[in-house]
Amino acid sequence: MKIDRRCFLSFGLGVTAGTLFSPLPWKLMDDASIWTQNWSWTPVPEPGEVSEVNTVCTLCPGGCGIRVRKVGKRAVKIEGLSDYPVNHGSICPRGFSGLQYLYGPTRIKSPMKRVGPRGSGKFKKISWDEALATVKDKLQDLRTKDMPHTLACIAGSDRGTVSYLIDRFLTAYGSPNYIRDASSRDADELALYLTQGQDGSMGFDFENTNFILSFGAGLMEGWGAPGRMLNLVGSNVDKTVVQIEPRLSDSAARADKWLAARPGTEGTLALGMGHVIVREGLYNRDFIDNFSFGFEDWSDEAGNTRQGYKALVLNHYAPSHVADITGISAVEIESVARAFAGAAKAVAISGRGQGRASDGVDECLAVLCLNALKGNINRPGGIRAVAEPDYLTWPEMNVDLTASKGRQQPRIDGAGTGAYPNTRYLINRLPAAINSAKGDSPVQALFVTDANPLYTMNDPEAAKKAFSRIPFIVNFSSVMDETAMYSDILLPDHFFLEKTRDVPSPPGVPVPVIGLAKPAVEPLYDTRHLGDTIITLAKSFGGFVETAFPWEDYGTFLEQTLADVWSDLDENGFWIDEKAAPKPWLEAFNTGSRKYEFYPAALANSDGHGYHPKVLEGAASLPGGEKDYPLVLIPYDSIRLSCGILAPSPFMMKIIDDTVLVKNNGLVEINPETAARFGLSEGSGVVLKTPAGRARVRVHLFSGIMPGVVALPHGLGHRAPDKYTNGKGININALINDVSDPVSGMNMAWGIRATLEKV
Amino acid sequence: MTENNQHKKVRRYGMVIDLDKCTGCGACMVACYSENNVPFRTDETKKLDSLNWLRVFKVSNNKSFPDVDICHIPMPCMQCDGMHGHGHAPCVSVCPAVATDYDHETGIVSQIYTRCFGCRYCMAACPYHARTFNWWDPVWPADMKKSLNPSVSVRMRGVVEKCSFCFHRYQQAKEKAFVEERMQVEETEYQTACAEACPVKAITFGDLNNPDHKVHSLKKDKNAFRLLESLHTNPKVYYLTKRDWVRRQCDNIDSHTDIKE
Amino acid sequence: MSTQAEPQAAIPADTVSGSGPVSDGTGNITGGNTGPGASSGWMVLLFFIIGLAGSLLVGWIAFPHLLYEKKEQPVRFSHVIHMDQVDDGCNSCHYFRDDGTFAGVPDLASCEDCHSDEAMGEDPAEQLFIDDYLSKEKEIPWLIYSRQPPCVFFSHAAHVKGADMSCESCHGDYANSKTLKTYEQNRISGYSRDIWGYSISGLGSGAPDGPRPMKMNDCAACHLKETGSKGACFQCHK
Repeated sequence: MKIDRRCFLSFGLGVTAGTLFSPLPWKLMDDASIWTQNWSWTPVPEPGEVSEVNTVCTLCPGGCGIRVRKVGKRAVKIEGLSDYPVNHGSICPRGFSGLQYLYGPTRIKSPMKRVGPRGSGKFKKISWDEALATVKDKLQDLRTKDMPHTLACIAGSDRGTVSYLIDRFLTAYGSPNYIRDASSRDADELALYLTQGQDGSMGFDFENTNFILSFGAGLMEGWGAPGRMLNLVGSNVDKTVVQIEPRLSDSAARADKWLAARPGTEGTLALGMGHVIVREGLYNRDFIDNFSFGFEDWSDEAGNTRQGYKALVLNHYAPSHVADITGISAVEIESVARAFAGAAKAVAISGRGQGRASDGVDECLAVLCLNALKGNINRPGGIRAVAEPDYLTWPEMNVDLTASKGRQQPRIDGAGTGAYPNTRYLINRLPAAINSAKGDSPVQALFVTDANPLYTMNDPEAAKKAFSRIPFIVNFSSVMDETAMYSDILLPDHFFLEKTRDVPSPPGVPVPVIGLAKPAVEPLYDTRHLGDTIITLAKSFGGFVETAFPWEDYGTFLEQTLADVWSDLDENGFWIDEKAAPKPWLEAFNTGSRKYEFYPAALANSDGHGYHPKVLEGAASLPGGEKDYPLVLIPYDSIRLSCGILAPSPFMMKIIDDTVLVKNNGLVEINPETAARFGLSEGSGVVLKTPAGRARVRVHLFSGIMPGVVALPHGLGHRAPDKYTNGKGININALINDVSDPVSGMNMAWGIRATLEKV
Repeated sequence: MTENNQHKKVRRYGMVIDLDKCTGCGACMVACYSENNVPFRTDETKKLDSLNWLRVFKVSNNKSFPDVDICHIPMPCMQCDGMHGHGHAPCVSVCPAVATDYDHETGIVSQIYTRCFGCRYCMAACPYHARTFNWWDPVWPADMKKSLNPSVSVRMRGVVEKCSFCFHRYQQAKEKAFVEERMQVEETEYQTACAEACPVKAITFGDLNNPDHKVHSLKKDKNAFRLLESLHTNPKVYYLTKRDWVRRQCDNIDSHTDIKE
Repeated sequence: MSTQAEPQAAIPADTVSGSGPVSDGTGNITGGNTGPGASSGWMVLLFFIIGLAGSLLVGWIAFPHLLYEKKEQPVRFSHVIHMDQVDDGCNSCHYFRDDGTFAGVPDLASCEDCHSDEAMGEDPAEQLFIDDYLSKEKEIPWLIYSRQPPCVFFSHAAHVKGADMSCESCHGDYANSKTLKTYEQNRISGYSRDIWGYSISGLGSGAPDGPRPMKMNDCAACHLKETGSKGACFQCHK
């Protein structure tokens, strides 16, 4: 008996054979292959019961109805809500990517206190009690010093219950400085007030019109309620759309006709079309003869003869002349004017892109006059003033002496007084007002809600300088943005989909539709409803400030304030103000003449005929000389980019073309002809210089942009801790200077002179 | 192999996209990402590496200002029937792992991520760039994992993925039908996320074989065509346009020589 | 390949003559050790059998034991007791939702439809359930025996409603169980043992009233038999 090598070999063979005839290798192989299919770091979403919550999107003022699909407690998808009166089921890409904002990395998860220098983004987590006490102490201190008017609030909106609460707080506290962020609404509202004597926003009945003449409004670029505008395209109703702008935008590409007028000459073009309509007698005689004022020449109280609209357009805006200014041929001007006048129902609209910025009041008035010539005011398929429904009922409030004295102080931004008696808010004048003040800043404390001025304002450096002079900045933003980075105390509001609030009627919608946003998920973090924060803060002051806020919390307040409409709102998710049917012409106008005023009497003191030809002729009014800056830079809006206060979501960054952004480089659109003149080709690196600043960009050749004009998109170049957008592309707002509208004082900059230098 | 599955043609799901309606807003893409757990990265500007199940391409008539025109072309997976409609889609024919097959019940070309080993033959074979490769592990930062849809598998690094015509929605619609003791899935019950999302209703989805479905008549429209028809891939995605230059750019060589099925 | 085949071919020669050629592992054939001190053919055979038997034992008995991690369910649950209390059999708790999806294992909210803070029976397990989960509003982390991997779309509706199959035809007879069996989890794949089936060979259809194996091949086999086709990938994958 000997155990030798052969035995071991044999043993090995036996093991091999046995193993092969056992399940071990086969099962292991199978399990190992399954193991490779399920990496632990690849997430597996938990299944669960599917439910839906109907609510309203508040990512922009558009207020589209949405359905939030939930699996268990998680929200997994946002879709359009088909029985919602604004958007009828259509929503924009930003809406579809809404959950990325909700669950995204930029959320502010608790109250914070700044610990590093402003803008460094260094914050310390603090408790709500501590945060509110800090704010209260600071504000109380200002009141003790009789300086309540040095508190200002920059707010994204002035409508809806939350805005009213803040305004009420300012009133009770003693500050007149509620400042709404800029938008095209500013010019529209002013134009409505001047011509019709109405307070309200401009409503466009696109649903029932046959002809849309857009002087630059980006109807497909996210204008108004984006879901509504897109839904209209899909509604199969035949409409002729004429789009006027110097760039082949998505709106221009989808329009039946694209008129590439030189940038800034839109108002002149409108007056030129007015000329054709007047000359050929194509206007609505009933309206013009009986319900308008200032069409014919007229005499003012002093007995001076003033030129009416008719003489103005006939004498100064002949198509041949307008053709020289706008670059659109006289034949084209005449044919479009005739088509507009001849359409059964037609509407003209001014504005640029999404309407984030205001257009000039002159331009707005010039376009509004086309609507008046058409006689479409308060008619189906036309325009109307949409007053905010008085659905809110407020208990009376008393203010103390401090507050009353504070309220009587002039507004810091100068709106409503002096040179700009008709303007309500002038956020663009705030930085200069602060920067030019001697001694202490006239703003000692600032609230920022639903606004991101350090990104959205032209010349953000001036705004930053102004902010640095404000000793105390409180920001209620739910996400960490440029302005939050510059703030001292962060009191994060519940975000989109986490809270109940009323959604004011969306811009452009012709009927007041109040929506009710309902929470789809429980608040994710230690945030508080802005309404609750304001109520708590007010109560902590005691006295009249406290008694102005008799509600326990925002929920009770909302139900009581909405009173009659609450049950409708709660049940349907929206409420339409049936009383707001447009009035007949006889009762529609609240002006001095009780008529539609072609020549706004409110402007009678300004020189000339009410229009500023220089403003309407565009390029002449742009800052910078033609010699040093031979090009014109215009911003453009894209529905694929969110251009407002929020940065684009990761999904939106994913859908923007590589002709807009490559890696971190923004691309400037330039006509191949212009590029050849500057010796540039696709992808060339250039420095884009404007009187306001400079930026490194790359060149994208696009024959859809007018020669001599270059374009950059709004919505890029964010500087906030979000790795999906931070430092990507250029913030075009920083390359453009403010241009003050002579009528309103509002910023009406739509572009700037520019040049390109090869690098 | 896979052809054995029910060779009787019951349904052929397809799409008709009206290019004259499309505004290029991109809502279809985002709705698709959100529905199908498509991941995203910090830099998505290198489009060849960007994961997409549906991509909206932009073409131009190449004329100079101001005669230039642009057209947006949404391109999901074309769900090719292959020559004679036998299901020999270009990708199916080359897959060495049977990770992609043709479902004869619906006409949908599948992609099974757990089966795919990432050789990317299918990507080379697909003439429509419908397929993309996961070069990186997907990452959902912060709480973004909470928004993942459990009806669609999350893909791991190293596999190919593509549009499934939201097949999970068909599965769900069938489940509902079973519970309600119906055999038929209605047109409205099974719609892809992009078709449902399209805010201008440019995308119509349904059973090309079913005369009651809108796509059945739309595909016969005189303005209807398919991409690269000369390749005889026999796609189930049709396009509509009145603009000749768009059709020419889509290589519409023999749009009217229908391949007999 | 030939080098692998060689030693096997060598076995009979070796055992008979004790001097067959043996592979040296490099593919060269060397002469066997035929010296007088060499082990006998029986000895070699014995070692072969020891190796064979040992590996078979390991493969068939020890391996399955080691492969599966045994876990007990968080609550000792008796289907028998519950079946007595409900009206609609399995459907009472394991129901179809209106959208056609299957609720599967009930969540705490479903339990709360009947259970409250007061125990209904004498069983200490119920008190444990109330104390540890119900009163704390905490979901019970049930271990699901038949959970399919995330890439699988399994339609209960298609099988139960469409094909009129009973619950027990796949899951086995749970209705008459007084306790829940030990959950066995594969240490490598993480799957429940029920998926592969209790037969470690993967052959056969399991115990008559036990659960059926639920791997893809099992699905395909049944589909081929019942419907004439294995089905396309997307029929069951997502």
